[in-house]
Amino acid sequence: MLAYLIKSFVGAVVVLLVMSFIVFCLQSIIPADPARAIAGPSAPPEKVEAMREQLGLDDPAVVQYGRFLLRLAHADLGTSVRTRRPVADDIQQYLPATLELGLASIALGVALAGVMAALQFLIPGLGGIRLAMVGVGSTPIFLSALLLTYFFWFRLDWLPGAGRLAYRDFAGPTGFNVVDGILVGRPEVSVDALLHMILPALALALPIGIAVGRSLNGALHDVMSQAYVRTARGKGLSETKVLLSHGLRNAATAPLSMLGLQVRLLFGNLLVVERVFGWPGLGLYTVQAFASADLPAVLGVAIVFGILYILVNTLIEIGQSMADPRINL
Amino acid sequence: MSEPVTESVLAVKDLSVFLSREGRPSRVLDDISFDMFPGEIVALVGESGSGKTSIGLTLQGLLPREYLPQVAGSIRLAGIELVGAGRRTWQSARRQLVRAISQDPMGALNPTMTIRRQMRETSGGAGGSIEDWLSRTGLPDPDRIADALPHRLSGGQRQRVLIAMAMMARPKLLIADEPTTALDVTMQAQILDLLRDLAREQQTAILFVTHDLGVAASLADRVLVLYAGRIVEMGRTRDVARNAAHPYSAGLLAARFDLDTDRRRPLPTLPPERTPSINVENACAYATRCPIAQPDCTAIRPPLEPASVHDGAVACLHHDQTSFLLAQRAGTKPWPAQAIQETAALRLSNVGKTYRTGPRSFWGRRQPQPVLRSVSLSIKLGECVALVGESGAGKSTLLRIAAGLVVPESGTVTRFDKLPPQVVFQDPVAALTPWLTIGEQIGERLRAVSLDSGYGRRLVGEAIKLVGLDPVLMDALPAEMSVGQCQRAVLARAVIVPPRLLLCDEPISAMDVSLAATTLNLLSDLRRRLDMAMLFVTHDLAAARIIADRVAVLKDGELVEVADPDAIIAAPQSAYTRSLIAAMPSLQAGGGR
Repeated sequence: MLAYLIKSFVGAVVVLLVMSFIVFCLQSIIPADPARAIAGPSAPPEKVEAMREQLGLDDPAVVQYGRFLLRLAHADLGTSVRTRRPVADDIQQYLPATLELGLASIALGVALAGVMAALQFLIPGLGGIRLAMVGVGSTPIFLSALLLTYFFWFRLDWLPGAGRLAYRDFAGPTGFNVVDGILVGRPEVSVDALLHMILPALALALPIGIAVGRSLNGALHDVMSQAYVRTARGKGLSETKVLLSHGLRNAATAPLSMLGLQVRLLFGNLLVVERVFGWPGLGLYTVQAFASADLPAVLGVAIVFGILYILVNTLIEIGQSMADPRINL
Repeated sequence: MSEPVTESVLAVKDLSVFLSREGRPSRVLDDISFDMFPGEIVALVGESGSGKTSIGLTLQGLLPREYLPQVAGSIRLAGIELVGAGRRTWQSARRQLVRAISQDPMGALNPTMTIRRQMRETSGGAGGSIEDWLSRTGLPDPDRIADALPHRLSGGQRQRVLIAMAMMARPKLLIADEPTTALDVTMQAQILDLLRDLAREQQTAILFVTHDLGVAASLADRVLVLYAGRIVEMGRTRDVARNAAHPYSAGLLAARFDLDTDRRRPLPTLPPERTPSINVENACAYATRCPIAQPDCTAIRPPLEPASVHDGAVACLHHDQTSFLLAQRAGTKPWPAQAIQETAALRLSNVGKTYRTGPRSFWGRRQPQPVLRSVSLSIKLGECVALVGESGAGKSTLLRIAAGLVVPESGTVTRFDKLPPQVVFQDPVAALTPWLTIGEQIGERLRAVSLDSGYGRRLVGEAIKLVGLDPVLMDALPAEMSVGQCQRAVLARAVIVPPRLLLCDEPISAMDVSLAATTLNLLSDLRRRLDMAMLFVTHDLAAARIIADRVAVLKDGELVEVADPDAIIAAPQSAYTRSLIAAMPSLQAGGGR
């Protein structure tokens, strides 16, 4: 286990180095002049020149890359062209909202997958569910997000359709509103935060739930016809016990891999969903950064998502080795 | 039969089972009645598809739900009626009364759970810790085994674990469904001894399901012979083994081969199975295959009546004729002499190979472990050499090297010609592509020759006829054919362009007795007719002796002896060969105790 953690840490550093190199190359390829961008479009040439010197843009590429790495190591991701603030500060501000939404969608997705697999397993020959799953699964996320807002907010007005919180000035210690509401003793804030989260989280959870649910269902189907399940039944265990202690664990590996894949797709989907629901997170920040060609911001977010992805992968692999002790990490 | 003193533990009466496949119910068990008594071992014998596994599953209430099983009749286990019983009754019966061990010890244990946890689920009856039970089945180091995961154990160890797990619940009835077929012969003998001892010690009745009357004879007190879901003969093991009353039992016995079988002539076999075009409600299901069938056999359903030749019962209208059938079987013509040339069809010199299967290093690389150490073997043109050894000895690796599928790390492989040798693998169904017709698959080998399609199709037809397959099956898919038919198709594919060398990797180890005998006959015939050299890999010394001109014994990657089969059996040079011979089950051994 320790060897595995060391290995995955080394792997993460290598991946980050490669990614930083790509990011650095992108910066120098893209025909945008950071010096001019920072100095402003109307600045005189000598001011731009001075800025260029200050940024070290005339140094050899290797030196620039070294400096870039050094800054990265100090969590300095440069300055956003749009907000004129350090990208790291922006990310720190928006990350909690995205993490809160992302974690909620993953939890909801896994729950959906479980319910769907359980339904299909307990009621054999349930064709309707399969059809519905294919239908929902093939709906692109921007469409399902819009449909959800249209029905549950615009038509029915059951749930808030935009924003993250009705309490404008609320700011808690962790940035996770649901948690903060409880921490500062204002449960109404937590409830409101949860209500705001339902629609975007559902939009994000649907594809996760369907993909993981189908994979879990297939795996369970295979496992429950294995000889060792017959052995377990032959011991006189109840069907529920057979399913829980012999079926689920052996069926876990494939759906966990699928979950890992889906979480990676989730990063992309967050951009769309945060934009549709006006969710003030990293996704929305990235969309806005795109719109104003804010390269440092985009690249900063890319690096953060990269780190998150490595983290998710490691967690999935640990989960798989816990489910199947034959997998030696 | 003398009146039993003790009360029966299992009483099955008029048991019929229907399973629905694709909406059509089909009868898998037909009017089965039998009793079992405490401590008694009853063998249930039949070919694959006879319904013997279904009986075991029915007695546990574990018939696959997707086939919508319908069970009629009566099963009384320790006085409790189980047909029509509710879920809870079945669960408690499985917990306390009936246990099973299965054919496949590899798959029957949960791979993600330690042995200890799996055994703990067996709520043990009266006393005995997990370690006690593991050591009672002869497992060394029970503490280590209890905490191990199944994949760390060998096949034999796993079967012992399964036996311990079953016996720990002190069941009244143990169903053993071919528990030794997946194991080596030496392991097989030990497991049979263990079952016999446990049955006596704990007064557990054992229903021993097998396709091999020899194995049944070495273990069981009584035999039930099952054909097409019906009991066709039942009686004391010794009686049935010596004096079979039903022509089917007689056929099964005749098809059985051991170390004393006449190897100069074809083995006696059962006539091939045909889809019954007759209504079994008022006919004998065996009539289409039966050599002594009379017109009335397809008009009357033979009842199970007391046999005239022994104390048991038989369902055959003409069972007084069976003894003539038994006397007839020696009359077949011997094989023609095979010309063996001096030139080698295959020569392996000092061949060595390692696999990375050792412990992992820090970066996940495995240490190399030798599977073959400097093996030298040559097969002359027209000669058949059998390679015998237990699992893990390196047999399959050697065959793959001979086929050119695996490249040896040291040594040289020389073949007589450039044509690649053909290989016949263990599982004929898996060796065929499921979505191509048999004709297409056999014809694929003609592509290299480029013939016009009419002529190609004729060649395929000839190859199909050569292996004794019905030419109609040319357009069939593998799923529409039986295992025996698939095996013939695989052989037709191998010999349509006759190779100089045919390599067979355990082609009969998964087959029941009569199919194995048929396959051995077919291979012997083909190699003589097409003048092929053959390497026949097997763990069955009896099969090796019958088919081969020379036997090579492989142990831990080294050849321990190579000689004429009868010479090896008469005077085995190595301890390993001696143990192989000692472990062979024989009709003469055991039985009536």
